[in-house]
Amino acid sequence: MAPIEPDPAAAERFDAADQALYLTEVMAEIDAEVRRRRASGDLPAGLEQELDELFLEFSPVGLHGKARLRETLALVDGSAYVDVAVPVESRKAVGSQIKRLIRKSMGWYIGFIVHQIVKFAWSVSRMFHVVVDHVEDLEAAVETQRTPELPASAVPANDPGSSWWSAEAVTAVSGVSGRVLQAECGNGSLLDALLAAGVDAYGVDPIESVIEPAVERGLDVRAESVLDHLEVVADEALSGMVLTGSIQWLHPNQRHRLVALATARLAVDGVLVLHSATPESWMAETSHLMSDLAPGRPLHAETWSHLLADHGFRRTGLTFGGEDRRLDRVLSSNPDASAINGAIDAVNALLLGPGEYLLVAVRER
Amino acid sequence: MKLAFITPRYGTEVIGGAETAARMLAERLCQRPDWDVEVMTSCALDHLTWENTEPPGRSVINGVTVCRFPTASRRLLGYFELDAKLRVSPTTATLAESRRWVALNGPMCPDLVEAVAATDADIVACYPYLFATTVDGIAVSRVPTVLHPAAHDEPALYLSAFRQSFRDIDGFVYHTQAERELMEYAFAIGARPQIVLGLGVNEPVGAGRPGGDVLGIGDRPYLCYLGRVDEHKGCVMLAEYFERYKAGHPGDLALAFVGPVSDKAPDHPDVVVTGTVSEADKWDILAGARVMVNPSAYESFSLVLLEAWSLGIPALVNASCAATMEHCRRSGGGLWFESYRSFEVTVDRLVADGGLRSSLGEAGRQYTACYYRWSSIVDRYTRFLEGVVDRGHRAPIRSRRLQLAVGGPEYLRKG
Repeated sequence: MAPIEPDPAAAERFDAADQALYLTEVMAEIDAEVRRRRASGDLPAGLEQELDELFLEFSPVGLHGKARLRETLALVDGSAYVDVAVPVESRKAVGSQIKRLIRKSMGWYIGFIVHQIVKFAWSVSRMFHVVVDHVEDLEAAVETQRTPELPASAVPANDPGSSWWSAEAVTAVSGVSGRVLQAECGNGSLLDALLAAGVDAYGVDPIESVIEPAVERGLDVRAESVLDHLEVVADEALSGMVLTGSIQWLHPNQRHRLVALATARLAVDGVLVLHSATPESWMAETSHLMSDLAPGRPLHAETWSHLLADHGFRRTGLTFGGEDRRLDRVLSSNPDASAINGAIDAVNALLLGPGEYLLVAVRER
Repeated sequence: MKLAFITPRYGTEVIGGAETAARMLAERLCQRPDWDVEVMTSCALDHLTWENTEPPGRSVINGVTVCRFPTASRRLLGYFELDAKLRVSPTTATLAESRRWVALNGPMCPDLVEAVAATDADIVACYPYLFATTVDGIAVSRVPTVLHPAAHDEPALYLSAFRQSFRDIDGFVYHTQAERELMEYAFAIGARPQIVLGLGVNEPVGAGRPGGDVLGIGDRPYLCYLGRVDEHKGCVMLAEYFERYKAGHPGDLALAFVGPVSDKAPDHPDVVVTGTVSEADKWDILAGARVMVNPSAYESFSLVLLEAWSLGIPALVNASCAATMEHCRRSGGGLWFESYRSFEVTVDRLVADGGLRSSLGEAGRQYTACYYRWSSIVDRYTRFLEGVVDRGHRAPIRSRRLQLAVGGPEYLRKG
């Protein structure tokens, strides 16, 4: 959730995390008491259901109703029955008699129609029950395949504006005419550079606390993941994207989704800039927690190029940088130089090499 | 910099979340030396009839220049017929049907639309999304245009007329993060310039009287609902829940409905219905409440929640309302209910536990002070508008103007 810019003086006193914890405890106690009272049966079941349906009647079932399948189904069930016994009460004595007469004389006709309506409604309701059962089975199956969560504390702070590749990224998207998305934007340092270069840039980052400095500077940043964000962007709405951060270690399925979404959301001739660690440096440099729990691993630059080419991108630039951990060769004066340097070359090629790369591609179709 | 607000109705008499929000923002903004603010609105104050009750032309309300234009038609009964039809499945309504719905929802003000087309303002701000003045204003605006949707998850939001109209918007201003998520989900506008702004809270202007005295219930403890007393605001549900609660928990707890009554007022010996009250009465009643209850599932911001918190009064909200839930979760200033049972247990707990009330009220007070001060809100708003003006107006796709719906009987207010 993107924070609203706080008033600095008041912000110092307001500890949202502490209060959230307290609220969770109170609501847990309330939930337990609700369950206890429901189980006690002190309200007639029919009345309790009626009161619950009243709540649902005035609740939205759209975007925020996704988790309310069962409750909504109960509402369908509750309204699937059509009562043919029309109320006959009336403030006038004769009115009641007339209503009773109409009900009696029309009863066979209304009953015939209602029987078919109720039959149809129950068939629909049964179908929904089957659908909801399937959905819940699917949800349970998906849950077992969920990758363990990578703790935010394990992810290094993202300050893309001070990186070796920032100037090149700015150059790559300078001159595009529409909006440029920067993910993950961290503290907004690269956004500052992009804006200074005249690029209409905005940013996303999944960690709310990280973007607070950018929010305070009035930048257009949102606290959401790049995948979630791209889901709500119109096709061809972006002229450029600068991607870094967790896109390096996305789960393969998510990476596939990212490439598909980036292709759809970028306009033709749109520029994609992608920064990543090399697989070799990532394994050597990242913490054990990070390398063990991250859902995926960084790809080689050639692999990204291949994936992007498959989706209609043409690679226009590839620069290696970051810490170069290659071992130096020994001097040829060393009597064993030939053997040692052979081994060093092999180690450099297989395990070491440049730490990061910046890939630039243009969407051609 | 000159900003022109477009609203369907405007004035201190108008009680409505979005309209009040627009007025509050305009009044704060016009105090800034470099900002010139003008409001273009209809001559109507009643959103159910759109009857022209105010004179057309220029006036000044609390420092804001207001230009009024007559509505071309009162609301027709045909609106309710079409609304009932489209409400069931708004996404399957044709574009023509949905545009007719917007036209029937009104207010149709041809002169206002012409004035928007000819405005000398640097930027236009439409507020809220639901009305014909907004859709027509967007269609003709030739300057950068922002929309304050004030949207919540309701069937009308999914009508294709709005999807078509919003293509020409240069920036979106939201009340809450929940509203932003809803709009992004419904319209795929994630890449557009946007800001979660919220609203500021006014300084309380109570007269220091005990709220129970103002309500005429002496020192009885009471829950307080503040706003339009309307079925769609959850008031019928609240009244029924409270009646059931009192049946099982006899005592002196009362419930006060404070605000204009749209439908039938709840009738119960422990329920007080005040109708419209003065600002001083409102603040005094609020200050004396044990808890401020907002049962509405359809809020885009809920200023009354923040007003209650500014006095340290805890809140109880509807769990299915994204906006009020966002406030409660972020602030820790309120609890929520999602069934009669949870209403019953939560009210029990809040009424009995003074420590809990104090803790929630204080958290709400700090949250309000931290995020909803007018000065910082206006700073952020002006910075955002300047950015939108710098970017310039989108190459407009230009939806056509709405066609005035004619014929059929007019809606007449009961009583």
